[in-house]
Amino acid sequence: MSASVRSMSLTFCRAARVAFRAFNPATRPLSTGYCLRTEIRPAGGSRDIIESTEEFRFVERLIPPSRIPAPPKHDGPAPSGWTPPSDTPPSLPYMIRRSRMHNVPVYSDIKHGNQHSTLIRKIEGDIWALNKEVKEFLLGLTGKDPPTQVNEITGSIRVKGQFDKELKDWLLNKGF
Amino acid sequence: MSLIKKPGGKTIEVVKNLPRITLANLRPNPGAKTLEKRRGRGMHGGNRSGWGHKGERQRCNRPRLGFEGGQTPFYLVIPKYGYNANHSRQPQYPPLSLRRLQYLIDLGRIDPSQPIDLTQLVNGRGVEIQPQKRDYGVQLVDEGADIFCAKVNLEVQAASEKAIAAVERNGGVITTSYYDPRSLQILIKPVPFFMPGEPIPKRLFPGEDLLPYYTDANNRGYLADPDKIQTARMDLAKKYGYSIPDISKDTLFEMLVQRKNPRHIFFGLSPGWVVNMADKKILKPTDDKVLQYYGS
Repeated sequence: MSASVRSMSLTFCRAARVAFRAFNPATRPLSTGYCLRTEIRPAGGSRDIIESTEEFRFVERLIPPSRIPAPPKHDGPAPSGWTPPSDTPPSLPYMIRRSRMHNVPVYSDIKHGNQHSTLIRKIEGDIWALNKEVKEFLLGLTGKDPPTQVNEITGSIRVKGQFDKELKDWLLNKGF
Repeated sequence: MSLIKKPGGKTIEVVKNLPRITLANLRPNPGAKTLEKRRGRGMHGGNRSGWGHKGERQRCNRPRLGFEGGQTPFYLVIPKYGYNANHSRQPQYPPLSLRRLQYLIDLGRIDPSQPIDLTQLVNGRGVEIQPQKRDYGVQLVDEGADIFCAKVNLEVQAASEKAIAAVERNGGVITTSYYDPRSLQILIKPVPFFMPGEPIPKRLFPGEDLLPYYTDANNRGYLADPDKIQTARMDLAKKYGYSIPDISKDTLFEMLVQRKNPRHIFFGLSPGWVVNMADKKILKPTDDKVLQYYGS
């Protein structure tokens, strides 16, 4: 056991030396960012600290953004499957906005382990027309007429059953 | 012989001549149903109705299953061992799938033109790491390896072989490195660490148990020999059947080759430095002993 630990620590020392050789400024005169670039000596005369503003750009990289960035332009679906909304909104009596994270607002829900439902949120315009179309679509898909609950105030429709993938694709095809 | 076999046999003839089945004619098989015990209907009026005499039994206030009157119960006396021993102290590595990474890059939450390490992943709200819950970093999982097509300089804490192959196949570079819990907390939330003005500590090396993992070239460990990593890249390409793109001819070659010093937590910021967020300055020590300590 101790022999293997010793051999491991030896290999580690060798590896660390290799790694250090790569990063040690003495052996890499052209190292990026490890040399001390100076210097704004403070007027107070304390010689113990060097102040510098050169490397602050590395700190700026670490600050988290406070706003959600706008997604870059993609022609059609992105490699991960994410599809941007169409540039012109579809000419339908209703509109479904994208969520804060630029996704289609269709969510599946389970209550008590066996009650499945799907929620379509952020609906504007004629909700009842969308409700009718959703019912027709799901009738064609499953052969059953699923019960739905329309909430006009919040602009949402809750459908009984788990259809989040199907409804997402259906809405994406419409161009929302 | 002209015996025609009818489906159902003789039973169907019998059943056809029996009276119609109604609710009045139904009966379960003998022995199928047992009558439930109903308390308080005994011969002598019930009295205590089968509940006993006073106490927890009659008052329906018995303690939980397994309680032994205060003696340490059997299920607590026996210790956990083997797989379940010290389960709450085991290091955990929340997974990051290649599919999620591709999604984050597609939505612009992570910039592939800069090295991607855990700070960038957390800033893009891609993963959630809780160092206080024994998370030691993020592990790259190969779900979505066939969809992945981004060229990245990735630094994670663990990676599966297929995930490494998927990253390198697209011309990227992947490294696995170790962060001790204090360094990890600083890495995921750098700004709350910089605000009080503490000097950046140096990153500790992995312990005995994790050292073999990070010195192995097959895991692209940050302490492994760079030559062995090159041979491992070529072996992996042969194994999975793709050709390694030559990254030295890439425009982003300098960015892809960038790697952190094993003792540094951040790119470009040495241990021992203090960051002044308000004045946007960095304070560096000049004392020999301090520099020697932080440089070791």
